[in-house]
Amino acid sequence: MRVKLKIGENEKKFINRVNELTGDNVYRCYQCGRCSASCPMAQEMDLLPNQIIRKVQMGQEEDIIGSKTLTLCASCFACQGRCPKGIDIAAVCEAIRHLLEPKGKDFWGPDDVQPELAKELPQQVLVAVYKKFAK
Amino acid sequence: MRVHYYPGCTLKEKATNLEDSTREAMARLDTDLVEPEGWTCCGAEYPLITEKIHGLIPPVRILRQVEIEEGSKVVTTCAFCFAVLKRANKAMLDNPTLHTRVNEYLADDILIDPTTKEKRTHFESYNGDVQVLHLLEYLRDEVGLGHLKSLVKRDLSHIKVAPYYGCRLLRPQKEVAIDDPETPTIFEDFLNAIGCTVVDFPFKQECCGSYLSASMPETSNEPSYRVLNSAKMNGANVVALSCPLCYYNMDTRQDRIKEEYLEFNGFPVLYFTQLLAWALGADVETLGLDKHLCDPRPLFDIKQNAEDVEVNL
Repeated sequence: MRVKLKIGENEKKFINRVNELTGDNVYRCYQCGRCSASCPMAQEMDLLPNQIIRKVQMGQEEDIIGSKTLTLCASCFACQGRCPKGIDIAAVCEAIRHLLEPKGKDFWGPDDVQPELAKELPQQVLVAVYKKFAK
Repeated sequence: MRVHYYPGCTLKEKATNLEDSTREAMARLDTDLVEPEGWTCCGAEYPLITEKIHGLIPPVRILRQVEIEEGSKVVTTCAFCFAVLKRANKAMLDNPTLHTRVNEYLADDILIDPTTKEKRTHFESYNGDVQVLHLLEYLRDEVGLGHLKSLVKRDLSHIKVAPYYGCRLLRPQKEVAIDDPETPTIFEDFLNAIGCTVVDFPFKQECCGSYLSASMPETSNEPSYRVLNSAKMNGANVVALSCPLCYYNMDTRQDRIKEEYLEFNGFPVLYFTQLLAWALGADVETLGLDKHLCDPRPLFDIKQNAEDVEVNL
């Protein structure tokens, strides 16, 4: 069955914004899937890293908004290191989180730390996680 | 020798065993570690998107302070601090837009000169001239592994060490890598130089779950367990690393890993500086070994106990 896909103005705007923020071009991805094979958190994800890139290529912002993947990326750069095109998927996830912030999406806040964890967490963890996920 | 040293926030509180063993080892290598005046947290994470320029301010301010104090190099042991400082430094060298914007922001700084006690308000642009080195690179390039080998005072050949690089020392390759990201050897070369038995294992550059242990604690057990289990299956009796966050995930959180993986019964994790200080003849009290959740002290017994240690593990 043939499906005709249409990328309208809103979709184009989203794709261009992601490209602008990452300084890259998501269309360079040809979906080989090495990123998903390398990802240490892939077992927890609802959208695999290569699927995130595909959704961005298609401008399907709505499908990405609710995805757990955006908060499961710990920026270890395994995907980027093994990508034949060198696409930085951690940066793509960060760009999407940045674009969702003005729409009221908050991925993490000071009240989300479990009290028993707060006592034992190293300082760098708290700084890193706020910087990554808080508005 | 005198060299600038950036400890980072975690080493002063939660990872004092990394800080103490680093200082102990460097004193034994006749290296005087100087902290830049008034240093702050480096920000822990480098901003990956072009609009978050504020994330570059703290690391560049630290690097500029090193330059003001006439330092040409800064050494770090924390892998996160290393990655942030090195990437920020490279951005100052390679990206003219970031160079201009960050320097314009920093031009308004006020600094009290520690010697004259006068206010200083005019600063030169920071151009990325300070060299950022991880301690492993410093030992390889400045001290020399051959020289280091000649200074070793204790026999560590009974300790089978699995070197764990994690993510921040190797990736992204063009910006931070201290060695080849897929087949690194710098950690192995260092461990060979101090006389440990090195164990290769396939998870040495896999992520341990990183800061997800704060935001989604239930998800970080599996990646940490995979690393520890792989080291154990390949015959190691300890994992060595350089990052306080990896240490937290793989040692401090071991009781939670045990709850999820019932066959797992604990595995010792050490900072590479603890092994270094011990090899150079430091007293066991200076290594902070009592802070570990999985007690590594049996490993530091004299050689004839080594076989018992392996049985206990």
